[in-house]
Amino acid sequence: MRDLCGQAIDVATASGAGYADSRAVTRRVQHVATKNGEVESVSESETEGIGVRVLVDGAWGFACDRRLSAEGAREAAERAVAFARASAGRAGRRRVELAPAPAEKGEYRTPAKRDPVDVPLSEKVELCLRAEAGMKHEDVKITEATVRAQREERAFRSSEGADLFQEFVECGAGIDALAIREGRVQLRSYPSAHGGSSAQAGWEYVEGLDLEAEAPRVGEEAAALLRADPCPSGVTTVVLDSEQMVLQVHESVGHPTELDRVYGTEAAYAGTSFLKPGDLGSLRYGSELMNVTADSTTPGGLGTFAYDDEGVPAGRQPVVEAGVLRGFLSSRETAALIGAGHGGSMRADGWSRMPLVRMTNLHLEPGEGSFDDLLADVDDGIFMCTNKSWSIDDKRLNFQFGTQIAWEVKHGKKGRMLRDATYTGVTPVFWGGLDGLAGAEGWQLYGLTNCGKGQPGQHAHVSHGTAAGRFRNVQVGVRDV
Amino acid sequence: MTSDGRALELADRAWRAAEADEADAVVHVEQSGFARFAASEVHQPTLIRDETVTLRVVRDGRVGCAVTNRTHDEGLREAARRAAEAADSAPPDPGYAGLQPPSEVPGVAGYDEATASLTPEEQAASAAQAIEAAPDYGLYGYFTSGVTETAIASSTGHSVSQQMTDASALAIAASGDSSGYAEATSWKTGELDPAAVALEAAEKAARTRGAGEIEAGTHAAILEPYAFSELLWYFGFSSLGALPLLEGRSYLSGRLGERLFDERFTLIDDGLDPTGLPKAFDLEGVPKQRVTIVEDGVAKDVVWDRRTAKRAGEGHVSTGHGLTAPAQGFGPLPLNLCVMGGDASPDELAERVGDGIYVTRLHYLGVVDPREGLITGMTRDGTFRIEGGKVTKPLVNLRFTTSFPKLIEGLLGLSEEVVLVNRSDFYDERYPFGTKVPAVATSAFTIVGTGSAPGL
Repeated sequence: MRDLCGQAIDVATASGAGYADSRAVTRRVQHVATKNGEVESVSESETEGIGVRVLVDGAWGFACDRRLSAEGAREAAERAVAFARASAGRAGRRRVELAPAPAEKGEYRTPAKRDPVDVPLSEKVELCLRAEAGMKHEDVKITEATVRAQREERAFRSSEGADLFQEFVECGAGIDALAIREGRVQLRSYPSAHGGSSAQAGWEYVEGLDLEAEAPRVGEEAAALLRADPCPSGVTTVVLDSEQMVLQVHESVGHPTELDRVYGTEAAYAGTSFLKPGDLGSLRYGSELMNVTADSTTPGGLGTFAYDDEGVPAGRQPVVEAGVLRGFLSSRETAALIGAGHGGSMRADGWSRMPLVRMTNLHLEPGEGSFDDLLADVDDGIFMCTNKSWSIDDKRLNFQFGTQIAWEVKHGKKGRMLRDATYTGVTPVFWGGLDGLAGAEGWQLYGLTNCGKGQPGQHAHVSHGTAAGRFRNVQVGVRDV
Repeated sequence: MTSDGRALELADRAWRAAEADEADAVVHVEQSGFARFAASEVHQPTLIRDETVTLRVVRDGRVGCAVTNRTHDEGLREAARRAAEAADSAPPDPGYAGLQPPSEVPGVAGYDEATASLTPEEQAASAAQAIEAAPDYGLYGYFTSGVTETAIASSTGHSVSQQMTDASALAIAASGDSSGYAEATSWKTGELDPAAVALEAAEKAARTRGAGEIEAGTHAAILEPYAFSELLWYFGFSSLGALPLLEGRSYLSGRLGERLFDERFTLIDDGLDPTGLPKAFDLEGVPKQRVTIVEDGVAKDVVWDRRTAKRAGEGHVSTGHGLTAPAQGFGPLPLNLCVMGGDASPDELAERVGDGIYVTRLHYLGVVDPREGLITGMTRDGTFRIEGGKVTKPLVNLRFTTSFPKLIEGLLGLSEEVVLVNRSDFYDERYPFGTKVPAVATSAFTIVGTGSAPGL
């Protein structure tokens, strides 16, 4: 694979590219899904190919080919150069410049005790069926379980001399119970909604989730939600569990701090950002308790690597410190535009897509104290858990999220269960209301596999570590009336 | 339809590589170009070549799947081995509905040689036409075109293939305090005018400066086809397939046969329509049928695949809306929704609204409650006030949380013109699909909050 990358670079530079990089990727994914005690899908997918990115006279071009062969590498390189040249001649255009980066040589492999792809599919099927059985309840009409495992090899070479090879393994799992009665539908999930949670780790991660032990609670809560009162409307104190906090961080901190969005280059699809380059170091993002870190070295994180897809070494950087914006997620191109750093957040979905600025692992650093301490200071509020629906505007300011389950909080104690809980807010105002954050004991790492961006669309796998947090003056109970 | 037959030959080789009681193979071939731009500069220009085989095998009633893009003999043998291993890992599947028997598929349009043969240079030139047509704004969007082929062959002797082309131009014209949107899609690139798309976006942007706010509450509104298409799509995937219907999660569960909407509302799914993005068959090889989902406001049916039709029992057959076997958990999907047009011009729609909101497009939708058809999202790139039956001042982006059924119950009118709107975001393999919809005027569009002003 590395040789093919080298061949592609040679062809690209010989054809006129001032800069070229090439990624050869093989990816194997296993997916098991069961539903109501029956196997819904057992599948094995593999894909491989080579992608070549070039700069010709300061204009980008990218082309890819599924053939991991000399012919595939050569044609991808020639087509990338031709595509770049087709736009390079336009009058008055900006020349792309890249921030300097060291030409690294190295290898990386995910530490794993047991390679999840090598775990027999039959073992995965049995795990799903056992977990599903535990969710049985007379009001639970649909139970589902999923397991996924992935192995990806990525070779990278650049015309600047970078020569890298990385192998990543991931796995994850999740269970859902859907209770239905008299036209009312309620969902509970574990360990996370929307397909469970994943990690860059061996099969020991899935075993550690202990799906079977959690299954009875998941089923019972789904059934109980059918009889719960609806979340009231009003402005109140909200406590978010660490899982909902993941989505809050992802949508209202992760995406707006992507520097390509700040410069507007994602306007056509995902949107832009309320942040401006000049906000760095001065914009108040939230309260003093808010500390957010981008860390592509986190053990187990889906955004962990030794080098990003531009060959920039992994690292850890503050994004928000004591509530003030301190950093952006960047590429070599956007780092050059802002005149700071050298990127490090460029990631591509497989071999057939051009790298984009993406989250790696973005964490809300823990506060102090326990979850009970958070509740103790709530005289009248709502505790919300597990995402159910999400929407946020193109600048990442106005959001509305719904959770699967909630509880009333009165005089510092959890009270009656509430269904159909939603809350809405405006990003810096909402984060400004953060006045309590649980400590490291309650800090958990979650991995998402459904982050979308780019045209053509790309999926990214990212992780977030968060703890439960308390927010004052939040609008809850948003409904069509 | 033209094809060199290679995709079908590959599908045939693939299923024959399987050691199984039954097997089918779906081949998807793509060659596409994406000339994306941002701030009127080329950005993420992407050329893709890929071909993928999805192999499904059945052994003793157990079903397993393997997907590969290694399409040489060794790759197919490996895929067959993995599919067999997957099948052997699972207990028998009582829901398995068998493979499609040999059957004729309808002849459809959808392939255009001029579109198929567009070069990367021509794709880049089309993007440049859009950029040059809106010199006063930063232009964000793309021109893309592709040729794809789907071929399916199986041990039943069923053997079908279709070559398709598609092309789209999309543009947001934006400045610091303005933004406007437009797009156009066709399977014939000759029907697209990227410069006209950019101009439409620029003209819309020019009217968005100085945007004001509006009170939360339920308002009368006009939704342009871009906006209505997206709302319909979200309602469609959560409520108009047979799986959510059978599981009681759909708005239509238990309500088929009832008059649920305004009597002027008729909704079909029509993959055969030559003015849409036509499909001859679904990804199980089942011939496409035109399905009437709502007729004169009465809920009639949903779309079906082989698995859900078997589950529902007598009287139900697949309507040709199935996905590939690894994706069957989503159930059948209505990928060619079409709302019949009405009798109104754009001006007449505004007159019927009187005072309300005009919405160009929507952003980042989420289904809050599928059983109630409740959907949230933001308006974007051209939201205006309607006063005295005229579209007047610009508004900031608005958060809506609105019931799709209530919106259609409160129908004030539909435009005569019906527009094809692309619904693919081009994730994974390219598979063109979209909706055909008119502009809609309604008395019931619920705003729950305000967002930022238009512009970057």
